[in-house]
Amino acid sequence: KQWYQRRVREPWQYSFPPFFPIQPIVKTKEQQLASWRSLICDYHQHHRKWEVDRVVFENGRISRRLSPAAQRVVLQDLCDQGQGIMEGERCFVLWKTVAQWGSLIHGWVSERGLTGTVLTLFEIHSGDDTEGQPFYGMDVWLLQHVITALGKEGKAELMMGESEDFSDAGVKFY
Amino acid sequence: MGSLFSKKSTPKSRVTEQDQAVLKLKQTRDKLKQYQKKIQLNQEKERKLAKQCLDQGRKDKALRLLKKKKFQDGLLEKTDNQLDNLERMVSDIEFAQCEIKIMEGLKSGNEALKELNAIMSLDDVEKILGDTEDAVAYQQEIDAMLTGTSIVEFDEEALEGELDAMLAAEEEMKMPDVPVSGIDMPEVPDHEVGEGEKGEVKERPRELFAG
Repeated sequence: KQWYQRRVREPWQYSFPPFFPIQPIVKTKEQQLASWRSLICDYHQHHRKWEVDRVVFENGRISRRLSPAAQRVVLQDLCDQGQGIMEGERCFVLWKTVAQWGSLIHGWVSERGLTGTVLTLFEIHSGDDTEGQPFYGMDVWLLQHVITALGKEGKAELMMGESEDFSDAGVKFY
Repeated sequence: MGSLFSKKSTPKSRVTEQDQAVLKLKQTRDKLKQYQKKIQLNQEKERKLAKQCLDQGRKDKALRLLKKKKFQDGLLEKTDNQLDNLERMVSDIEFAQCEIKIMEGLKSGNEALKELNAIMSLDDVEKILGDTEDAVAYQQEIDAMLTGTSIVEFDEEALEGELDAMLAAEEEMKMPDVPVSGIDMPEVPDHEVGEGEKGEVKERPRELFAG
C-alpha cells in the first residue's frame, strides 16, 4: 500500500504532518488545498484512476491521514475548482477538464473518420482501437458525462441502451 | 452559441433508425468480445492448472482440463465467426447509408441543373446570338461608310505630281551636275607627294582625315 514509492514526484507537504488537518488560517488553508488538489490529480493521472482512491489521504510513514470531515472539505474544494465531479456518493477526479476530455475524444473520432457513425461507449473506454489513448479505461459514467457535454455543443449525441447505467449506451459524433 | 435568452429543451435528434440498428449490432459485438475475453482468461487459468496437475502426476485431471480447453477453443472460433458476421452487417449498413447520401447528392445536383437549364432556353440563346450577329454587321457597315467616303475632296493626281517634284528637288541639291567634258584634269605628279607638301587635295582626299 506504499503507493508513494511508485510516484515520480511527491509534494514535500505530504511528509509534513500539518498538511493533514485542515489549516485554520485562510491563506495557509488556500495553499494547503491547492497542494491537495495537485497531489490528487497527479496521483490519479499517474495511476489512471478515475474515481477517487482514498489511499491518497493517508501517509503511513508519518502516521497521518485526513479525517473524513477533512476529506469532504478537500473533495468539495476539488470540485469547486473544476478538478473533480461528484455523482451521488462517487467522486471522480478530473485531471483534465470535461471540456478537454471532450475535445480529446472528439479529436480521436474525427481522425479515424468515425464522425457520422454510431459507436458504443464500451468500445470507446475498452475497445481494441482505443487501448493507447488517454481516455482508455474511463469510467462509463464519466464518459457519458463528457459526451453529454459535447452534445450541448452539437458535437455528439448520446444514445441510451436498455440499461440505465450506460453500460450499453452508444454515441453518434458529428 | 445561439441567443442567450432562448432555452432549447432538447436539440433535434439526428439519430436515425438505421443508427439504432447499428447500435444494437455493436452492443452484441461488445458482448461477444467480453465473452471471448472471459473465455480466454478462463483458458489461461485452466492451462496453468493443467500444468500443475501434470507436475503433481494427476494425469487424468490434466487430460480433463485439456478437453475442456479444446471445447472452449471451439467456442472461441464460433464467436469469432459471429463477430465477423456482425462486423460485415454493420459495414453493409454503413455503406448503404453512404449510398443513400450519394443518391441524395446526385438528385439535388440534378435538380439544380434542371433549374438552371430552365432559365436559359435554346430559343433564347439562338435569338441572342442572332441579335449579336446583326449588331456586328451593322457596325461593320458604319465603319465602311465612314472610311470609304472622305469629307474633303482631294485631287489625287495633282498631289502625287507635287510629291514627285519635291523628291526630285531634294536629289538635285544633294548632287551637283557633273561636267562631262572640256575641263583639263591636272597631271598626276611622278614623284611622291609627302604629307608636309601641299599636295593636291583632290588626289589625296583620304589623307586629310587619316590618323
